[in-house]
Amino acid sequence: MVGRQTPRFQVIAGEQPAAPDSRSELRELYQKHGASVFGRCAYLLKDRSQAEDAMQDVFAKALQHYAGFRAEASPLTWLMKIATHHCLNLLRSQRAGWRGRYEREARAAKDERPQVFEMRDLVCKMLALVDSETQAAAIHYHVDEMTLDEVAALLGRSVPTVRKRLQEFATLCGKEFSA
Amino acid sequence: MTLVNSEADSPALHVGELRLRRFRAGEFSDEAHEEIAHHIAECGSCRAKLRLLQEEQRQFERDIPFERFAGGVERACRVPRPSPNRRWVMGGAFSLVAAAAVVVLLVRSSGGVGGLGAHAVGDHVGSNRIKGGLSAVVRIAAASGGAQRSLPPAGSTTLQPGERIRLGYSTVAPGYLVAVSVDDAGEVSALYPESGGSLPVKPTQQVTFLPDSLELTGSGRERVFLLLADRPLDGAAVKQSVHEAHAQAKGDLGALPLPSFPGRTDVRPFTWLFYKP
Repeated sequence: MVGRQTPRFQVIAGEQPAAPDSRSELRELYQKHGASVFGRCAYLLKDRSQAEDAMQDVFAKALQHYAGFRAEASPLTWLMKIATHHCLNLLRSQRAGWRGRYEREARAAKDERPQVFEMRDLVCKMLALVDSETQAAAIHYHVDEMTLDEVAALLGRSVPTVRKRLQEFATLCGKEFSA
Repeated sequence: MTLVNSEADSPALHVGELRLRRFRAGEFSDEAHEEIAHHIAECGSCRAKLRLLQEEQRQFERDIPFERFAGGVERACRVPRPSPNRRWVMGGAFSLVAAAAVVVLLVRSSGGVGGLGAHAVGDHVGSNRIKGGLSAVVRIAAASGGAQRSLPPAGSTTLQPGERIRLGYSTVAPGYLVAVSVDDAGEVSALYPESGGSLPVKPTQQVTFLPDSLELTGSGRERVFLLLADRPLDGAAVKQSVHEAHAQAKGDLGALPLPSFPGRTDVRPFTWLFYKP
């Protein structure tokens, strides 16, 4: 039900972000999603200290946009998307280091190819070779095991676009695996 | 952690990892939770994965105690580290606040009620245009004045006693607007216009706020829809569509689908959920 008020209030520029009232809500985030977000950061950054910093940044964003965050159908999906983007950006900003890491891992892989085919490891190794959108699509599809539809919705792209990017990524992975 | 996808163990036959994580976090409705729990009870592979995720959380809590976590997050809130690529990080609808501007946050026109995070359209702080040039915002203020805040589309908030809302929009093309609200009981109220069809709106570069402040009366929740369309809308049809959405969601305003208008692709919905004081 709605009541109308006259005179109306005057809209003033500025913002007052909603925030959780206490640490109890932060504790809830910690217990529900802490390991998932930290795991994503550690998976991509391969450095626990950097991963912890990145995780803190991701949760800080959630707090700064708390009302919208809580309104998400899946707060965890939102956190994982932000964590993925944040870490990929960090890696991109250290592009030389990332390429170096890839080359080192690629050399090591030739010497001691793992007996078990672990898709997530291969995905991580191949990320440096593709564009940012394909990186995110590959992670959400292969690591999060989201469906094509879910990845497309999460990234705001059409299903055919995501499918095409994943096919290109799979081709690269296939070449790497058979090399 | 080793959650391996082997070719012989197709994830399509199992619960995907993110779904398992969401299951552990209790994000699913009762029905979906029950369905996944049933699968896990029958599936050794998924049960093992879930155990790994539970152990992962326990290990995380051992490695990073809550106080250290909370301190780090609070520090990051106070002094954000420089973003390595601002455009990427800020691309979503959760753009940070521009102190001197009314911030307009956007949803993609095809978005669902809860899909805010997926609708990355703004490029930078204060960016308020999407393809098609449509945007909407809710401004909230106490009757006595004081601080105001904005609520992005798909957002939700708890209103304090006496707080009122104003609806704003912008569009680069002429169009038509209807705003309605629905409460927990399924009562649909026409907000703009109060009766009849739809309001013709002119192109506006700035956010235009609709007349009057609205006070959401009663208790419980109230979901507000603002629809912008290229062609006139029928107020009765809008109310009927919202009624149907309410019925479809079995009265759960948090899970309400967007109202649909068969045969029309020009209707762009925006929605907000309010918890009344």
